[in-house]
Amino acid sequence: MVSVRRSTGAFVAVAIGVALVAATMLLLASGRPQTPERLARAAVVVAGPEAGSPADPFPPDRPWSASRTAELVARLAALPGVAAAVPDRTFYAQPLVDGRPPQLHGQRQDAHEGHGWSSARLGGLTLAAGAPPRRPGEVVVDTALGLRPGAPVTLLTAAGGQPYTVTGLLDAPGVHVADEVATALAPGVRAIGLMLSPDADPERVAAAAREVLGGDGRVVTGDGRGVLEPRGDARTRWIGMQVLTATAALAGFVTVFVVAATFAYTVAQRRRELALLRAVGATPRQLRRLLYRHALLVGAGAALAGLLAGAALAPLLGRLLVDVGFEPSTFRVRYTLWPIAVALATGPVVALLAVWTAARRAARVRPLEALREAAVEQRPLGPLRATVGGLLVAAGVAFGFATALAGDPQQGADRALPMVMALVTGAAVLAPVFVGPVTALLTPTVRRRGGAISLLLRAGARTAARRSGATAAPVLLTVAFAVLVSGMIRTSTPVYATNRINAVNAEWVLLPDRAPGLSDQAVEAVSGAAVLPTTVFVDGDTAAEPVRPLTALGIDPATFSAANRMLTVVAGSLSDLHGEGTTVVKASLAGTTTLPDRPYPVVFADGERVPLRVVAVVSDDSFPGDLLLPRAAVRGHDPSALTDAVYLSSPIAPPAGARVVDVATWAAEVDRAEDRLVWLATLLLIGVTAGYGGIAVVNTLLMAAAGRARDLRLLRLAGATRRQVVRLVAVESALVVAVGAALGGVVALVGLLSIRAGLAEQVGAPVDLVVPWSVVGGVVGLCLLLALASSGLPAWRLLRRRSTVHVE
Amino acid sequence: MTTQTVTLVGLRAVYGSGNRRVTALDGVTTSFAEGTFTAVMGPSGSGKSTLLHCAAGLDRPVEGSVTVDGISLDRLSEDDLTRLRRDRIGFVFQSFNLISSLTAAQNVELPLRLAGRRPPTRDVAAALAAVGLTDRAGHRPAELSGGEQQRVAVARALITRPAVLFADEPTGALDSATSHQVLRLLRGLVDDHGQTVVMVTHDPAAAAYADRILLLADGRLADELTGDLTASSVAARIAATTAEPAW
Repeated sequence: MVSVRRSTGAFVAVAIGVALVAATMLLLASGRPQTPERLARAAVVVAGPEAGSPADPFPPDRPWSASRTAELVARLAALPGVAAAVPDRTFYAQPLVDGRPPQLHGQRQDAHEGHGWSSARLGGLTLAAGAPPRRPGEVVVDTALGLRPGAPVTLLTAAGGQPYTVTGLLDAPGVHVADEVATALAPGVRAIGLMLSPDADPERVAAAAREVLGGDGRVVTGDGRGVLEPRGDARTRWIGMQVLTATAALAGFVTVFVVAATFAYTVAQRRRELALLRAVGATPRQLRRLLYRHALLVGAGAALAGLLAGAALAPLLGRLLVDVGFEPSTFRVRYTLWPIAVALATGPVVALLAVWTAARRAARVRPLEALREAAVEQRPLGPLRATVGGLLVAAGVAFGFATALAGDPQQGADRALPMVMALVTGAAVLAPVFVGPVTALLTPTVRRRGGAISLLLRAGARTAARRSGATAAPVLLTVAFAVLVSGMIRTSTPVYATNRINAVNAEWVLLPDRAPGLSDQAVEAVSGAAVLPTTVFVDGDTAAEPVRPLTALGIDPATFSAANRMLTVVAGSLSDLHGEGTTVVKASLAGTTTLPDRPYPVVFADGERVPLRVVAVVSDDSFPGDLLLPRAAVRGHDPSALTDAVYLSSPIAPPAGARVVDVATWAAEVDRAEDRLVWLATLLLIGVTAGYGGIAVVNTLLMAAAGRARDLRLLRLAGATRRQVVRLVAVESALVVAVGAALGGVVALVGLLSIRAGLAEQVGAPVDLVVPWSVVGGVVGLCLLLALASSGLPAWRLLRRRSTVHVE
Repeated sequence: MTTQTVTLVGLRAVYGSGNRRVTALDGVTTSFAEGTFTAVMGPSGSGKSTLLHCAAGLDRPVEGSVTVDGISLDRLSEDDLTRLRRDRIGFVFQSFNLISSLTAAQNVELPLRLAGRRPPTRDVAAALAAVGLTDRAGHRPAELSGGEQQRVAVARALITRPAVLFADEPTGALDSATSHQVLRLLRGLVDDHGQTVVMVTHDPAAAAYADRILLLADGRLADELTGDLTASSVAARIAATTAEPAW
């Protein structure tokens, strides 16, 4: 009973879904942190206590101070099996080639990192040429820079450009300087690598090292050293994970959705055959079992095909993700067991889920229906379907209100997703109801010359509402998601930029150029409000609580308050912020709106613990970050901190490694890197839905064409020309696309309106709704094109191949 | 006394609702004895097909009761009804209703397979031989003539050795020569194997093969003919009864 031709549509739908799921799952499973090559030879690494907070998921570890480092190195080196204990120091350093930082290694963070020479042995690095750096002013650089030993080079550090001499070359990113220079630039140490003697057992050494540490840090070995990956890589991987998770979730949803529609359609087409089976003695149970078995077979076969396609697709997609910046350059696709198992299981499970309702409906087919010649469909909506659709729409509306009332953007996004899913599914379930009215609304446009086509269209919409509904579903899904996702981005981006402009009282901004930040040299060359951020650490209230990282801004009180429109002092005075040991905190951090009398102890980047005296408390929306420090205090404890931006009142000629832009450009640019990623993620998601939706449209219409051969031949017998029949089919599919696009548009609009309401609530000002018409036009046009091609062409061929008279 | 294979008591069947309400059967009581051949006749809309569908358990009457082979159909669940139909009732349709992807032999053995039994090759061959299609076993419906297709359908209906065989206009789609082949086959089943056959037809020539003819009009039994029937005597009698010689 498993007819190959009839199963093709469902097979294709399942296979593509499985391919998508397999590819995204493989990529998700591959995204594990990699041990940095720089530390590959250190079998055991001792790292500072892990810091973490919801606001900053990728903070550096808490460093040890110079004295603590010296003590730890001495004790660790004395452990049995340890040949050497080498502190690893990392700081900002960037060689200038032709006066500008070179564009090397794309986005790699380690291209502008400097290290002490002694840590080169942790990665087993050997000089490609020249000699190691022995004294200040000597540097070993990456061979890729094209410099030769003996050449002069300007090394940009947080202080500014310094003249250095290249003494050697390494085939590795970043620069290496003499250890005393590294100690000055990075006084705090976050990792100590242990080189083991050849016969030592890493686990035993690790256990001994843990005892030495006594809770003041972590000891990692083997793959566990992945936690030491550069923070930028961790962040990139996290973004990639978000994107892949969203893609996988969407792919799963779309798969179930499309496959369910396809199976419902297949079963509807086989109605007569199923009735026949009932007439010759098949029980409803047997029909259900038959359909389940069929679905299982199709699902299993399609899963295998989809898995192969997905496995082949994964490396390509992986490379694309690295190229656009969703995965760090160290990302490699690994074929692990569980994604393969999940993908293989997805096929049959999705097929079974999809056929479930269809099978229940099919089992209710009356045997007598086999006797009727043309099966007129029953009511467009059964009571169960109406109830389910109504509940889904209600749930969607409820989520819509929740989105509108969301307190922050993340919460809004979390609620917007289920809202759209519920609305899309609900609209698809109820779609048959709308087929009739929309057709009636639109048919006057095709009512010309006798109106036979219009008559047939109306009659068809009445008798085949479910069929049209099934075809409209993928269009609905595609349009709704594409419009909603792109509209959400386009609506929210200007809001954030405007917010930023409003917060700043300056016309111009000095920004780094091809560098992660501005050096002191560049900052001193201009007059304005400079912001020097650093991370400080607060110990948890109990030993079990993790170390909490805080973002501290090093500022000058006078210029900072002049450039900041949002600053609201609740208690104390900002002008008291000067000298070592003073700070200004936000009200939520202080826990009170009055000046606390107890000092606030923090650990700085150099590992020193300093009790800070709170001189002022400010409101939470005063500035991005947690606390303010005098600029000199930040510089004193973090020699490698870089200035983010300097707010200027007038444009000036930018110093080396910097550029000047107006505030509007800056506001748009701050999020540009992030916006670019978000937009790429959006395109990826739209691509997944639109691509799959398009295929589903083609799929359903091709199946429809095959199933309607008899009808169309009868029309020819009744005197319709071939052109008329093809026109009927084309207009019919265009109408179906219109129904899907209209419903999808309404769903997207409801979603966008509630997101806009949520945004307006968050920023406290009305927000303009931006409808991305280009995306709307593109997606609807694509669906229309696919629909016309996939319904018209088979109809044309069908009517051409066989004689008119032969009606099966 | 002869056994009644099928008993119908006070059957009423109604379709549609509101002012489109149509009463297809309006209190029909009759029975079909074992080993007899009955033809049911009547003008279009007289309810003859509905009568057949109700008697065969394909449709449920709103009132009245149906007993087939001693089992009342009235309270059976859909599954039980299907099982009973599969085991005790054979049905032949006007439009053959063979499954186009299966061969003649596979179509014949389908009801047994649906019942979860392994059809003995011998039985299938015997059923096909009984309808004279031994050499067509491996052909698909598209490769068979209309008469051959209908004979496959008869073989399929008989494979479970049903207590009664219902046929709804079995010759409606056939020319007269092939029609007579099929009718002779049905007559032979009654005479040689004691099969009970109930057939709906509008063709007096076909009805003449039966032992007994029931005439239906407006959902009621209008007349009953028995004895030596010929096509012309049947036609004359019908014309006299209903004064509507449309057929």
